[in-house]
Amino acid sequence: MQSLKAGHLDASRWERRLQKELMSLMKEPPPGVEVDGDQAEQNLSLWTVHMKGAEGTLYEGESFQLQFKFSPKYPFDSPEVTFIGSNIPVHPHVYSNGHICLSILTDDWSPALSVQSVCLSIVSMLSSCKEKKRPPDNSFYVKTCNKNPKKTKWWYHDDSV
Amino acid sequence: MSDSTETDENNKYNPGENQDDLILQQHRKIEKEISESIALIGNKEALSSLESEYSDDDIYRQKVQDLSNKYKSVRRTRPDGNCFFRAFAFAYLESLLDNQQEFAKFKDTKNCSIRGGVNLGFPQFTLEDFHDTFMEVVNVVGNGPSACDELYKLFNNSGYSDYVVVYLRLIASGQLQKEAEFYQNFIEGCRSVLDFCHQEVEPMFKESDHIHIIALSSALNVGVRVRYMDRGDSSEVIAHDFPEGSKVAVHLLYRPGHYDILYPSTS
Repeated sequence: MQSLKAGHLDASRWERRLQKELMSLMKEPPPGVEVDGDQAEQNLSLWTVHMKGAEGTLYEGESFQLQFKFSPKYPFDSPEVTFIGSNIPVHPHVYSNGHICLSILTDDWSPALSVQSVCLSIVSMLSSCKEKKRPPDNSFYVKTCNKNPKKTKWWYHDDSV
Repeated sequence: MSDSTETDENNKYNPGENQDDLILQQHRKIEKEISESIALIGNKEALSSLESEYSDDDIYRQKVQDLSNKYKSVRRTRPDGNCFFRAFAFAYLESLLDNQQEFAKFKDTKNCSIRGGVNLGFPQFTLEDFHDTFMEVVNVVGNGPSACDELYKLFNNSGYSDYVVVYLRLIASGQLQKEAEFYQNFIEGCRSVLDFCHQEVEPMFKESDHIHIIALSSALNVGVRVRYMDRGDSSEVIAHDFPEGSKVAVHLLYRPGHYDILYPSTS
């Protein structure tokens, strides 16, 4: 009985938190970011976010899609975030299967971060890129990795790239 | 015989298998075992319960002996990397149950702690979520000594307990950033205080060091005495008070990598 109650409490908190995040992302999206609100309303655990390459960067004029998956333990578990669709940005921290090597998505995730913070980090990661290329281990990684990027033990390279 | 050969086969490195998967599977198995066997906050036990852990170890036996002159009981916490924050929160709030005057003061300074302070760069609504749940737990203390069971239950419900841990981590991070110049001296290598906060303070499950303890105890103005039980020669268990010279409200036992709660004999 006790655990049932606790489970229920967690479920309503989970929903309230994601609803708040969705509202905030729809009302005040970071520049170039747009969440598919209808899809998220129907299934709060799976969101698609559209992202435009910022002006004056190597990705200007390009459009990308990000997928966010939220486990029942969100926000204590980080969201699972990948690029999806036909255009995966060519970037030293983005694998051609859409997986992203970014520390706040695993080791440095804090429950006080949000979808919005993740979007901002990804925009800034793309914007600071000086040369479009894939990670050096791309072909090996893409062949051997798990479908879920959170199951990779990431070795974070230089975050400033 | 055939059994052991089979096991050897299974343990061989197989390049076709995903090693990351195996490592993570093992981590999860260990985490599951820990969470099934050790409560987030345990029951109060007589200090002598520590003795049985060290029956073959003279150095530690002497130290337990020394501890038992000063403390009467111990409360174990789950070793999940959050133990300092969780132990601190429980021990302090428990001590306030029969000190309502102090509680009123604490509640007052609490209400505005992060909001009035540093901008941590987190969205306001996530901060509010953690603050509100933290205050829900804190307010239980207002019911006085009879609320001890309720406090214990809340701390063993991760839906509350983990919110408290996150909030204290944010308070510690705010303190570190507010006095970044001072705390920079404690950080090894060339990491900035901000990076340190993002990597070692704000995320869950990251273990606490002196710097976390100094930051949190200074931010809340709550004195912590940590008893260090290690392999050092002295038969006495060394104590450190944070912040130095403060009135001690929380007593913790440190054994490498882990904090539990201690209760002094006099109180």
